Amino acid sequence: MLPKLPRQTLLELCRRMFVIRHFEEGLVRLYEQGHFSGHYHLYIGQEATGVPALSCVREGDYLFTTHRNHGHLLARGADPKRLAAEILGRSDGYNKGKGGSFHTVVPSLGFLHTSAVVAGIIPLATGTAYASRALKNGRITVCLFGDGALEEGASPEALNLASLYKLPVLFLCENNGKYGLGRAAGAAQSPSMAAFPLIDLPKAYKIPAQQVDGTDSGAVHGLIAETVEKIRAGEGPHFIEAQTVRWPGSETNWPTVPYPTNASLAWDVGGVPEKVRDWYRQSDPLLIFIRELVEAKQATREEIFGIESDVKKSIEEAMDFALESPYPNPEEASKDIFA
Amino acid sequence: MKKRDREELLPLLEKMWIIRAFEEKVSELYAKKEILGLIHLGIGQEAVAVGICSLLHQDDYVFSGHRAHGHAIAKGADLGRLMAELAGRSTGYCRGKGGSMHIVAMDAGFVAATGIVGGTIPLALGAALVCKEKKKRQLAVVFFGDGAGQTGAFHESLNIASLWKLPVIFVCENNGYAEFTPLSAHTVVSRLADHARTYSMPNVTVDGNDLLAVLDAAREAVQRARSGEGATFIECLTYRLRGHYEGDPGKYRELSEVAEWKAKDPIARFSEMLKQKRMASEKQIREAEIEARARVEKAVDFALSSPWPEADEVTKQVFA
Amino acid sequence: MRELAYYEAKFEALGEIMAADERVHLIGGTFLSLSTRRAIYQELVKKYPGRAVSPPISELSFCGLATGAAMAGLRPIVDLSTGSFIFEAWPQVANEAANALYMSAGQTRVPVVFHIFHGIRGGGAAQHSHSPQAMFWNCPGLEIVLPSSPRDVKGLLKTAVASDNPTIFVDHVQLLEVRGEVPENDKPIPFGQADVKRKGSDVTVIATSLEVQKSLGAAERLAEEGIQVEVVDPRTVVPLDFQTLLASVEKTGRVVIVDQCHRSCGIAAELAARIAEEGFDKLKAPLRRVTTPDVPIPFSPPLEEFVTPSESRIIDAVRAVLR
Repeated sequence: MLPKLPRQTLLELCRRMFVIRHFEEGLVRLYEQGHFSGHYHLYIGQEATGVPALSCVREGDYLFTTHRNHGHLLARGADPKRLAAEILGRSDGYNKGKGGSFHTVVPSLGFLHTSAVVAGIIPLATGTAYASRALKNGRITVCLFGDGALEEGASPEALNLASLYKLPVLFLCENNGKYGLGRAAGAAQSPSMAAFPLIDLPKAYKIPAQQVDGTDSGAVHGLIAETVEKIRAGEGPHFIEAQTVRWPGSETNWPTVPYPTNASLAWDVGGVPEKVRDWYRQSDPLLIFIRELVEAKQATREEIFGIESDVKKSIEEAMDFALESPYPNPEEASKDIFA
Repeated sequence: MKKRDREELLPLLEKMWIIRAFEEKVSELYAKKEILGLIHLGIGQEAVAVGICSLLHQDDYVFSGHRAHGHAIAKGADLGRLMAELAGRSTGYCRGKGGSMHIVAMDAGFVAATGIVGGTIPLALGAALVCKEKKKRQLAVVFFGDGAGQTGAFHESLNIASLWKLPVIFVCENNGYAEFTPLSAHTVVSRLADHARTYSMPNVTVDGNDLLAVLDAAREAVQRARSGEGATFIECLTYRLRGHYEGDPGKYRELSEVAEWKAKDPIARFSEMLKQKRMASEKQIREAEIEARARVEKAVDFALSSPWPEADEVTKQVFA
Repeated sequence: MRELAYYEAKFEALGEIMAADERVHLIGGTFLSLSTRRAIYQELVKKYPGRAVSPPISELSFCGLATGAAMAGLRPIVDLSTGSFIFEAWPQVANEAANALYMSAGQTRVPVVFHIFHGIRGGGAAQHSHSPQAMFWNCPGLEIVLPSSPRDVKGLLKTAVASDNPTIFVDHVQLLEVRGEVPENDKPIPFGQADVKRKGSDVTVIATSLEVQKSLGAAERLAEEGIQVEVVDPRTVVPLDFQTLLASVEKTGRVVIVDQCHRSCGIAAELAARIAEEGFDKLKAPLRRVTTPDVPIPFSPPLEEFVTPSESRIIDAVRAVLR
């Protein structure tokens, strides 16, 4: 279902989902052309979680994300140009090229620090929440991580502190390990986590925890908007597990694009290779969202194609910007070690 | 309650008395500065050590934390070598190099103690994995306190033990205090067994000062491990009658609380039960204590007459 | 001038820090160690409820909490108690706090102080006796502070809290009862400013933390034989005031470096390397180090004493460089 939001807002959410999708696909092209090296992790297949979720945060709220951060940053409104430049290690990047894909920060949007250590951010999130409460500045913290993070000892330790100190933090776990076809409810038992469902972990600390279908933008938006208000009202930490179906392009060692996205796939996946066709037909949250927009008469197909066309152009510009941005000078390596 | 033989139960009382006598003697020696360093006594928690370890074989592996003397003794460690280790002598289990918090008595299957809260929990997983692969029905046991429940290593270990169905028994001595802080100040969770449930592990909470209750829980857990059915979590509610460490004034506990638990002393309760069920006479019960204290005295004589280690001992056994 | 015990100066510093800036929070409760002085610390807890928490035994998460809180505007001082326990928090200290400013190209500051009691303390055995400060020197981005006197602990703690960088405050329980002059209204001591604790012309002894006190004791004894030892205390190794150290080396030409870290890759090792690089032609003799040998710390009292750097070993080393 669609979020209960005005049409213009829905179109903006649509635009941001397109931005993420085409940015991430664009990165694969850049990588294959040899423009950057190292591991990178894409948010394709999770857009309907990140975009509605991050539309619920306010300026000043703290956001933490992981190695799979591009989608979160773009959902929150980061500039694709500067993000691309950072991923390519150029001086116009958000971190002047010193962070790369793993560590991009945008403090003005709430992203102070991005860690690629699994569960590295979870204790940090309790810290910003602790500070917000102590400084009484009304800010909340949203901590975005994957299902794997819960296997690290840092997670239960941090959940314990969050519940003990009643911290204003939303733990938003994106479980992209769901197996099976379609959007059936329930994730599969993980071979590396004995707790099942995952929300038993926060519940052990009496932290209110719920699951939501991460491919259902309306369900995500409704639940997160409501939860964020509770946290702002001082009700303490909350936990949400959003379930999605893993994008087939992540199955290989390095991301590959099985089939370039375009909005018409929402109504005809005929051209998509058979191996991945079902995912695009049933589990692609972007395509689901587009279909729902049209069905609910919130947009026409033409409008959507138009939005996508503009986005594709801006992504191309962003990639060009990144490629043209100079590398940092060697002196930059010895700057910003100490304040 | 099952019908039990006097042969089975009286020795358990004797064992508890040995631990009690040993710990009380250590306290005395510490006050006289014959023993130095950081000492954590398990007086009041004897039923847990004896209840669990009495069902173990010599080749089962036991791990513990900083409050380990009782566990080592219950597993069969030699009293003299143990006392000598606490006194820093070369005849100690670790040649004086480990001390109270780092007891190792491999001959008895007591593998490691640690001064790091939760530090041996992951180690027990490893031993259990080896047991599982050897298929000789061996198992591993790890003792820790309620404070360990807030460490990440504890959770990671419960997860792995459950996933891999390891033959390990997690024994939590919940004495209500992590060092000087009540459990409630450290977590909103009051029963650590609940964490085991989260990781889908069979679990039970028992009165840790009731030796029979501990035995019942241990019996089931040992059977589960030996038959390849995996891990169990046993939470034993108990109390340490002395401070966190020797020298701790213990101002953070109400005297009434200490008195309340003294009245539930595991040794006194078990003795009473034995007498009432006519499984031991008053004389036998007294003798258990006398015998225990005599054995501990022998251990002290051995320890205090043992030589100090030579200086060159410091560079030995850094590497194999 | 008034004289205070080290623990009194430290407590005074904490009180003034808490009163001056409500962004300062205390996480952990053994700033005055577990000794009988511990009770005094409770006065601060009572005075500032809500700004002094005693966390569970979960160093990884509460160091992470402190780091995150620092990113969000507080200035926490987090107490790990025994230095060895910082290993539980290693990922947060070394891989998050240390990197944050650099990785973000200066955008995110982490004004957190990690407080530890390092070293051999008497019966602590292998797991409670580490001096991890040199390991942190190998993690760029962390300031490392080692006070050795009442005046220093007060002045340096204030600077540590005022610093916008993550700081490892390396203390030692055996310093707590040391007495020394602490002027009223003393100014904070800047980082990167070494202190010549005792002037001398024959041998330079560079020492940190507790070893400064032992070096001063050794210097007293040597003075009776007419040997004048200059004791130089870097006070902070990151940032390091190498100029003052070098000036002393140039003056005496003979150097002994004393440090409770293990011999390999400890503080003494790094200082020795720098002196060899920049002061080689000023040396009249090979330099000497007095450190803990490369062994885990043994429990037994005579063994522990054997491995601990001592006044006698310092004296022997001084004699050796004079030969």
